[in-house]
Amino acid sequence: MAKSNKMFADKAFELVKELERSSQTIPPFDDDGVRQVLEEIKAIFEENCAQAANYSTSGDRTLWPLLNFRHAALQRNKRCLLTYLYKRLLRIKALRWEFGPIIPADIKTSLCEPEVNFFNTYSKSLASYMRSIGDGQGIDLTGDLRPPKSLYIEVRCLEDYGKFELEDGEVIYLKKNSQHYLPRAQVETLVRQGILQHIA
Amino acid sequence: MSEGDIIPPLSDTEQNEDFDDEVDEEELITAQKVLEIVETAWKNELCAPEILQHQTDMLELMLGQVAHMEENMKDLDKNDFRFIVHQMELERIRYVMASYLRCRLQKIETYTRHILNEEETREVAEKRLSPEEFKYAQEFAENVEQYFQQVALQYMPNMQRAEAEQRIVRPNLMSHVFIKANVDVPSVVVGVDDEEVDLTAGSQHIIPYQLVSDLIYKNQAQLI
Amino acid sequence: MEPCIIEFIGEKSIIGIVPNFSFEPLHLISGSVGPFRAGLPVHVPLWLGIHLRKQQKCRIVPPEWMEIELLEEIKEAEKKSKFFTKMPSEHYMVEAQLIMSTAPDDVPKCEELRTIIKDIFDIREAKLRTSIDAFIKGEGTYAKLDNLTLLEMHTVRPILPHSLDHIARYQRTAMATQRDTSTLGLSNSMNTSHFSQ
Repeated sequence: MAKSNKMFADKAFELVKELERSSQTIPPFDDDGVRQVLEEIKAIFEENCAQAANYSTSGDRTLWPLLNFRHAALQRNKRCLLTYLYKRLLRIKALRWEFGPIIPADIKTSLCEPEVNFFNTYSKSLASYMRSIGDGQGIDLTGDLRPPKSLYIEVRCLEDYGKFELEDGEVIYLKKNSQHYLPRAQVETLVRQGILQHIA
Repeated sequence: MSEGDIIPPLSDTEQNEDFDDEVDEEELITAQKVLEIVETAWKNELCAPEILQHQTDMLELMLGQVAHMEENMKDLDKNDFRFIVHQMELERIRYVMASYLRCRLQKIETYTRHILNEEETREVAEKRLSPEEFKYAQEFAENVEQYFQQVALQYMPNMQRAEAEQRIVRPNLMSHVFIKANVDVPSVVVGVDDEEVDLTAGSQHIIPYQLVSDLIYKNQAQLI
Repeated sequence: MEPCIIEFIGEKSIIGIVPNFSFEPLHLISGSVGPFRAGLPVHVPLWLGIHLRKQQKCRIVPPEWMEIELLEEIKEAEKKSKFFTKMPSEHYMVEAQLIMSTAPDDVPKCEELRTIIKDIFDIREAKLRTSIDAFIKGEGTYAKLDNLTLLEMHTVRPILPHSLDHIARYQRTAMATQRDTSTLGLSNSMNTSHFSQ
């Protein structure tokens, strides 16, 4: 698009839109975009300062609408930029709940340095809060995310696995397509391996 | 089969804190009652637009009770009927407590500055946040502010104090909620035009939150 | 509240079971259950009953209201009444769903019952939608919702509260605009009743 067709704050708005559209866990920090917006803010501000000075000496009221317009553009730029940053923070916070205190390496490359700092501080603060709950008894709030259905789960067997001994000594036969109601903790591994499928 | 699974009443849990006149009341409270209070607080918190008063005392009692139960279960076989049933119940209770505290954290993180400002004006007995939550809120506010400064604000010319004000996110207290009256509450204002209605015990309503927030606080109604 | 939370809350309902084992009472935090005597009915929370049934340690005693004639009556009353009638259980849908999917054999005429319960639910849902429509068109901000069960309430969430919140926001904006124009002398009326009749 030719530069002349561009409106003030287009870039800032684009930052927000791009982020909203992205289905990635978190898209790379748009360093360049952020810099452009900051430059536009600075440029608008300087122009307005110059004209405001002009206005106060000349008292030329025709400058007034333009000053107002630029001010609005300035505000919109700031607002969009901060929205962009804030929306990223929300995703960065979500990383802590999903992956724990270490950001997966492939995601980390998408974060700028202040974001990594934010994450680390957030992570530490959350951990120390969780430890302090209940007069130091502590609760891990990142667990128990959904209502417990049961210690037992219903599973369907996806392949002929054969004998499986439970901790209490009971032996069951895992046949393809057979269904069982078994202690969750004891069959989680088989579920992860794809031998059992968790149903309902 | 022993009777080993009888849990002593809550009065056995140690009470070190000085809750002045509240101590007596709490010693008499049963674990079942504490759980009910925690569950109501949880449901209210899930449905309220703003953060409600913390329930640290009840939560600590409940956590203590859960720990106590775990201790008693330690010697049971994992396949023992009692172990399984108690374990199932503990999972349910742990979920309620975790969900409750998570919901509060979410509000704290969303309305941080607003909540901190309000807390400053509140008397000790009226504080909404537990000391731990307050510390967390402060750290969070600082962390976010520092991030904004580093990445953007420091490069923005002429930042005004008013703009920091503009960035404060506030809950919409007039958002509509579902409530159930716990007791008869006469002449409750239900509209902006001062229309009044008597709420009978057990009746249910949809209404802007702010008009009934004091009923929730006084436990005359609960959010559903 | 998500559906799984509504189910979680409904699982606290008390139901009857007939265990096929014997055991001393259990002192749960939420209250004691048992003693369990093989062949003798006993009350337990739904979550426990469902678990025991899945382990084939009991038979579920269907709640009294899971009965064709009674439900037919309720269905007729629901059709005739302008308002919501009182359901025999605050969590009738959760109970029906959990019990009938776990233990269809324990519930006589299970399929028929399932259909009637679904019919009742549908009638109530249709009624709910009609009243919401009228409510919103009437520009109300408050309504009584007696006898609506938790699950039913949540079928209209978050749409109902959100749409009301939006309407309220427009009204406030409209009022503010009116205030602006009235200060300019263009209007001398700021009566709120314009917006909330």
